Amino acid sequence: MTGWHASDHLVTRYADGCLPESDAWSLEKHLESCVCCALRVSQAVRATAAGPALAGIREAVLADVRETARTDTGTAARTDLHGTTRTHTGTAARTGVHKATPAGASGAAPAAVSAASPAHGPVSGVPTPARPAGFPARARLGAHRWPSAGPRTVRVLWALGPAVRGAWLPAVLLVAVGAVALAHGAGFADARPWLLALAPVVPVAGVALSYGPHADPMHEITAATPSAGLRLVLMRTAAVLAVSLPLLTLAGALLPSTDAPNAAAWLLPGLALTLASLALAGYVGLRAATAVTGGGWLCAVLGPVLAAPGGPTYELGLRLSSYLGGAPAQGGWAAAALLSAALLAARRPAFHFLEKS
Amino acid sequence: MSTAPHTASRPVPEAPAATVRTTGLHVRHRRTVALDSVDLDFGPGVHGLLGPNGAGKTSLIRVLATVAEPSGGRVEILGHDTRDHRRRGEVRRHLGYLPQDFGYYPGFTVREFVAYVAWLKEMPADRVPAAVERAVARVGLADRVDTKVRRLSGGMIRRVGIAQAVVNDPRVLLLDEPTAGLDPEQRVEFRELLRELGASSTVIVSTHLVEDVAAACTEVTLVDAGRVAYRGTPLALAALGESAGGPGDHPIERGYTAALRAHRAPEARAGRPSASEGAAR
Repeated sequence: MTGWHASDHLVTRYADGCLPESDAWSLEKHLESCVCCALRVSQAVRATAAGPALAGIREAVLADVRETARTDTGTAARTDLHGTTRTHTGTAARTGVHKATPAGASGAAPAAVSAASPAHGPVSGVPTPARPAGFPARARLGAHRWPSAGPRTVRVLWALGPAVRGAWLPAVLLVAVGAVALAHGAGFADARPWLLALAPVVPVAGVALSYGPHADPMHEITAATPSAGLRLVLMRTAAVLAVSLPLLTLAGALLPSTDAPNAAAWLLPGLALTLASLALAGYVGLRAATAVTGGGWLCAVLGPVLAAPGGPTYELGLRLSSYLGGAPAQGGWAAAALLSAALLAARRPAFHFLEKS
Repeated sequence: MSTAPHTASRPVPEAPAATVRTTGLHVRHRRTVALDSVDLDFGPGVHGLLGPNGAGKTSLIRVLATVAEPSGGRVEILGHDTRDHRRRGEVRRHLGYLPQDFGYYPGFTVREFVAYVAWLKEMPADRVPAAVERAVARVGLADRVDTKVRRLSGGMIRRVGIAQAVVNDPRVLLLDEPTAGLDPEQRVEFRELLRELGASSTVIVSTHLVEDVAAACTEVTLVDAGRVAYRGTPLALAALGESAGGPGDHPIERGYTAALRAHRAPEARAGRPSASEGAAR
C-alpha cells in the first residue's frame, strides 16, 4: 500500500526463520495489506522444508472454506457465519503452522488467510443485522458441528417421535426382557403364550403415544408445521414397528417352545391392529382408535381366559391357537391388514383436519 | 406533492397488501364463543393484539397458526384459504408460531430443538445448521446453543421458543405472549428484534404488556369478548386515552381502558347478540 515492498533478502530470511522477531512482526503487518509481498513470501516458504506441510494445511483450510461457502449459499445468515468462519480459518491456520514448523514458517499464515479471503471478501461490506451489545454472537464452529455424514442419522432420530423417545421404549424392553427372564430365570414354562397375547397391543400403544396433543409435548408447535398430519403419523408408526416387531419376536423365539403358536405368529395381528388403529383414527381420533383396537384385542384374548375353568394358561393356549394358529387365521389377519391399509389410504384427508376447538 | 409520484425518496403511499385476512371468523369452545364474526386483515409490520384475559387472543392466534379449526368463517394466509389442506403445507412453510405453552423432548439441546423444528418446517437440510445458528443468535442464546433446554430458565426457554418460530424466516410470524418471563432488558432487546422482523414479515404479537405495544408495534388490535374493540396505531390509541381520559399510568394504558369502555358501553345497552348465534357451518 505504501509503495514499500520487502526485499528478496528479507523474504528469504523470513522464510528461513532467521529474521529477528521484531522485523518479522513488521513484515507480517505489511503482508496483511500487500498481496504482492504475501505471494512472494508464501512462494519462498513453500520452497523450504515446511512446504509440504503447509500445502496440506492450505488445502484443508480451502476445503473448509468451500464447504462453508457451499452450506451458506442462499442463506440470509451470510454475514454472521462468515464472520465466524474467518476467525476459525485464521486461527486454525496460525496454530497449525506453528505446530508444524516451529521456527520459520509463520509467514504462511498471512498466505493462508489471503487465500481464504476471496470467500468472505465480497460479503464483508454487508451490514450485520444490528444486535444490541448484550447479545454477543460467540465465535464458535457451530456450522461445522454436523459433518456431511451426520444429518441423515440426526434426521432418522428426529423421525422417531415421542413414543420411541419416551416411556414406551423401556416398557417394550421390560416386556421382552421380562418374558425371557421369567421363562429362564423363574422357570415359568408358559411365558410364550402370554407374550403372544400381549405383543399385538405393544405397537398399538406405541402409536397411541406417538402423535397428538395428549402424547407429544411438542404437538402445539408441530401442528403448525407442514410435516403435521398423516406423514408424521406414518413415520412415527414405522419407528414404533421397527422397534417392537423384531424385539418381541426375538424374545418370543428365546422362550421355551410349548405347544403355543410360533413366535412370529403375532406379527400379522400386530400389524393389522396397528393399521386398523390408524384407519379408525380418521374417524374418532388416534387415542380413541388405539383404545378400541388394543382394548378389543385384550378383551377377545384375555376376557374368556380369566373366567375359564381349565386354568388360565390352558384356555389362553386354546384362544391363541384359534386366533393365530394355522393358515386361515393368518390369512385373515393379512386380509385385515390390507383392508385397514386401504381404508387408511381412502381416509387420508381426515388427517388433514385441524383440531376442533 | 402529487406531481412526482415516483421519486425515490418518497415512501410507498398505499398500504401493503394484506398477508393475513379473516372474514366472519367464528371460534367456539364447547358452548362458549371465543371469537365472534371477526373481520381482520394484517399486512407486513408488527401488529399488537391486546385484550383482557379470555378475550380470544389465543384462539385467534391458534386459528391463524392453522392449529385449530374455526367453527365458521374464512382465514386467508398469503393468499391461500387455510381450509384447503393441499395449500396448507405451503402456508405452513412460511409460518412461525410461538404457542403460549410448549413442551420439548427431555434430551434436546437448544440447537437440536430449533433444528428439529426447522426439519418439521421442511427447510432444505443444507440450510438448517446456518439458519439455526442465526435464529439462536437473534434471541441472544448463542452461548447456550449446546445447553439442554431443560437446564434453561423460564425466560430462556421462552427465547428458545422465539428462535424456533423465526428459524425459517417466516413471512407470517405469530407470537402468543412472547415477552412473558423475560426480564426488562431482554424485553427491550426483543422489541428490537420485533422491529427488525416486522420490516419484512407480518408479525402478530399477542400481549397484555402495553409498553411492548407502544414500543414495537405499528398497529394495535384490541379484542374484547371475541370481538374487535379497536384498531389503530399506538399513537392513535394513546391520543384516545388522552382525550377520553381513561384510567391508567401510561398513555396507551389509558387508551386501552378508554377503548374498552367505549366498546362495551353500547353493547351493554343493546344486549349481547353473540350468545344466541349458532354455528355458521
